[in-house]
Amino acid sequence: MGLRHIYNFCRNALYKQRLDQDADEEIRSYIELTAEDKVRCGASREEALLQTKREIGGLEQVKENIRDVRVGASIDRLLQDIRYAFRMLGRNPGFTGVVIAILGLGIGATTAIFSVVDAVMFKPLPFPTADRLIRIQSMLIKSRRGEVASYPDFLDWRARNHAFEGMAVFRTNDFTFAGGRQAERLEGAVVSARLFSLLGVNPSLGRSFLPQDDTPQTTSGTDPVILSYGLWRRAFGSDPSVLGRTIELNRQPFTVIGVMPHEFQFPIQAEPVQLWTTIAVDARGGANAMTAQRGAHYLDVIGLLRPGVRLPQAQAELTSIASALNKEHPENKPRTVLLVPEIQSLAGPIRTPLLVLLASVGCVLLIICANVANLLLVRASRRRKEMTVRVALGASRGRAMRQLLTENIILSLLGGCLGLALAVLLIRLLLGVMPPQVPRLNDVGLDGRLFSFAFLISVASGIVFGLTPALQASRVSLTDSLRESWSSSGNEGKGHTRSRQALVIGEIAIAVVLLLGAGLLLQSFLHLTQVDPGFDPHHVLTFEIDAPPAQEGAGHERFFHDVITRISTIPEVTSISAAASLPLTGDNIASSIEIEGQPTPLGSRPAADFNAVEPGYFRALGITIMRGRDFTLHDSSNSTPVVVVNRALAQRFFPNQNPIGKHIRPGIGNGYGPGEPPMREIVGVIGDVKQSGLNAEAAPEVYAPLAQSPFSPVFIVVRTANDPRRIIDAARRQIAILDKNEPLYHIETLDEYFAQSLFVPRLVTLLLNGFAVVTLILACLGVYGVVSFITLQRTHEIGVRMALGSQRSDVLKMILAEGLRPAVIGLALGITISLKLMTALSSLLFGLRPTDPLTFGAVSVLLTGVALLASYLPAQRAANLDPMRSLRHE
Amino acid sequence: MSDSPTDLLQGTLDLLILRALALKELHGMGISRRIAQMTNGTFEVKAGSLFPALHRMQESGWLTSFWGESETNRRAKFYQLTKVGRRQLSTETKQWERISLAIATALRTP
Repeated sequence: MGLRHIYNFCRNALYKQRLDQDADEEIRSYIELTAEDKVRCGASREEALLQTKREIGGLEQVKENIRDVRVGASIDRLLQDIRYAFRMLGRNPGFTGVVIAILGLGIGATTAIFSVVDAVMFKPLPFPTADRLIRIQSMLIKSRRGEVASYPDFLDWRARNHAFEGMAVFRTNDFTFAGGRQAERLEGAVVSARLFSLLGVNPSLGRSFLPQDDTPQTTSGTDPVILSYGLWRRAFGSDPSVLGRTIELNRQPFTVIGVMPHEFQFPIQAEPVQLWTTIAVDARGGANAMTAQRGAHYLDVIGLLRPGVRLPQAQAELTSIASALNKEHPENKPRTVLLVPEIQSLAGPIRTPLLVLLASVGCVLLIICANVANLLLVRASRRRKEMTVRVALGASRGRAMRQLLTENIILSLLGGCLGLALAVLLIRLLLGVMPPQVPRLNDVGLDGRLFSFAFLISVASGIVFGLTPALQASRVSLTDSLRESWSSSGNEGKGHTRSRQALVIGEIAIAVVLLLGAGLLLQSFLHLTQVDPGFDPHHVLTFEIDAPPAQEGAGHERFFHDVITRISTIPEVTSISAAASLPLTGDNIASSIEIEGQPTPLGSRPAADFNAVEPGYFRALGITIMRGRDFTLHDSSNSTPVVVVNRALAQRFFPNQNPIGKHIRPGIGNGYGPGEPPMREIVGVIGDVKQSGLNAEAAPEVYAPLAQSPFSPVFIVVRTANDPRRIIDAARRQIAILDKNEPLYHIETLDEYFAQSLFVPRLVTLLLNGFAVVTLILACLGVYGVVSFITLQRTHEIGVRMALGSQRSDVLKMILAEGLRPAVIGLALGITISLKLMTALSSLLFGLRPTDPLTFGAVSVLLTGVALLASYLPAQRAANLDPMRSLRHE
Repeated sequence: MSDSPTDLLQGTLDLLILRALALKELHGMGISRRIAQMTNGTFEVKAGSLFPALHRMQESGWLTSFWGESETNRRAKFYQLTKVGRRQLSTETKQWERISLAIATALRTP
């Protein structure tokens, strides 16, 4: 059976022509024999032949049916269709070129954006346990945002839960590494010992952390450190004897116990982590240690779900643990827990923008498909005769339709090839404009996933744009179309017009959605750029620097003060100061505050952003002092504790009062030794500063003098007369004079921080508006196409109307209405869809609601106007028709 | 113009062709004449369904074909049952008898 199949298949393939001849001859002989029979019954030979042929029906159809039963006939047909398709496409290179080009653009853009989305959001994480890794976030019950957790909370979650196989904490930290010739700043991570085993990764050299490594070594030795492969190779020349060696990090000794495998990264972020050490570094200092404070929320927590446990179960269990903790520790603000799959949490805030971009580029591709479908319909009407002849000559309707679909899929695959080539270019462009802090961008690239995606969307678009024309063509009615197509040009059935109108309505609806999204984002972006940040970001250089560890407490301040004095000797410097945190850098310090005369238990105190600054900070940043005074050098650890507050805090807690001279107690920043932090006197009120982002409401802020609340590292802020980057070298030299083991790092200008905070909104706004313009043009072409088509169809009718006395203006109005109708229906459809869809944008919008009536109105007017414009040309052409000529048109 | 090439059930046509060839080899026209004769003119097999069926059965290995001369000395293609074809004829005959008996019984049931 199988053998014969193969034999038949080969024979059919090899001797196709001979088999066809054979069948031909067989049928001819059958006709002769039948006719002979009839002659014998008394008919004339001609009559007999004619009758026999009539009885058989379509000769070609019979032959086609014979061919169809052969083994391998379907492949044969496909090859034939493909050959024929190429011939047809080649015959019409202009049309083919245009279609391939716009499809290529659409597929290329979609593929490029998909590649970024895929790398950032979908590609599995490079850990064996990736699909069970869950980020566990602590969340204030009132807020809806997950945050970092405190170590005591983490310990309780870990001890009490059953859903997780294990949990670990981590945080990134900068380390000054003095191993080489020059001290350098390394990105490192502080983790708990179980982390690597949760990820299912072991060091390629040496050992992993052990549980006892989480507690500080008091008696013997030093804290352990594990190096990244890259650091091991670069700083230690891949020397295996590095194990057991003591290295100096932040001027503390650490013992190297292992080296992680090549390519290992954790946490996954844009700037790779180069070394890992344990949470023991935070555990020194007894009750004052970071790890001892339940209120110190500063750690990321990751957990490995037990196999078979589902996320909702784990969520329920941890929620109940959290509420038990709230009861046990009423002094803390009530919190709950939020579980997010690690892969999702990594994409973080870039998730929504990326999905919006992907959806919009998908819309562009859809519109392109609709336009191509429209072009194909035009061509299909020219090819009606061909189709009719093919059907008349024995091709089945299915076969004719298959032929058209084959052509379309070949078109879309060619478009896909072009798209893939374009995608390579576009990906490079896209990576250039992506915010640098987006993780996993180096995973973007051409791979199997991308090829499959491009292939799939090519075929899908081929089907999408090819289906309407193919269905249309298969509905060919033999006699009608033969008669009509012999007679004259495009005088087609109503079906054609209707499907073209439907396509245009769809195009307009999609264009409306995109235009609305783009319009909303554009306005939101404009609002953002008009926000007054509360400071002047121009000409300010900032960098971070640590105090040498030998100088504890107030010693910090002396070092920073020396740095400030030294740098202010650089001629271009106009003012200089230092601060523990900077606006728009994303790392705010939150603190509880207590208002004088309103004693409140610890857990229910209000929160404020805390900052510790040197005198002159407000001047250096251009922040207005509204009342009172700036700090001075006299505000030291020996003088009265003081603070400066911002307007938001003053208005909230001292409404209609003069806050100067009042007292508040910030929960942190105690420079006065152990015990409760002191009440501080308010000496000044400043204007609001957009500390945590341009789109954030101004939060209450408290500023204390660095001298009274030591921090390290701090940001040095330097305002200069000209380009602030020009003083970097001079600043380095000045600091090297003080201490050559203290590197400056995170060197940026405030302008750069400012630009970074606008990076994502700008990117999304720019791309979406680009897409919207493209769709508007395409939709416009669609309207133009359909109106021209209708005009052409009604030429005769228009001639009659004009001959009967219609005015040119009547004709003009009539044709304009033809264009306006699909535009208005599409507009209504698009607006209805958008009312639901735009809420997805709300997290990206600033200063307006997703149903902003102004935007909706503007888009409606714009679209109607454009549709009118697109119909005006054909309408005018129709109005200028010479009635005599149009009557003779047929 | 009807789209279906035959009013016969497909299985029926195959069975009739096999039966027609059971005695001796025949050409296409002979087969359709023989079927008409066997069924007293109830079934008239047209070329449009006959030839595709013949070619299909040949691909399945039930028939072989050769070029020969007709009674009137015309070149014609003759079909002949193979061993597989004969086996097929007997199984299909049995099956048909079973089905027709069953249907007849069913129809007679009051």
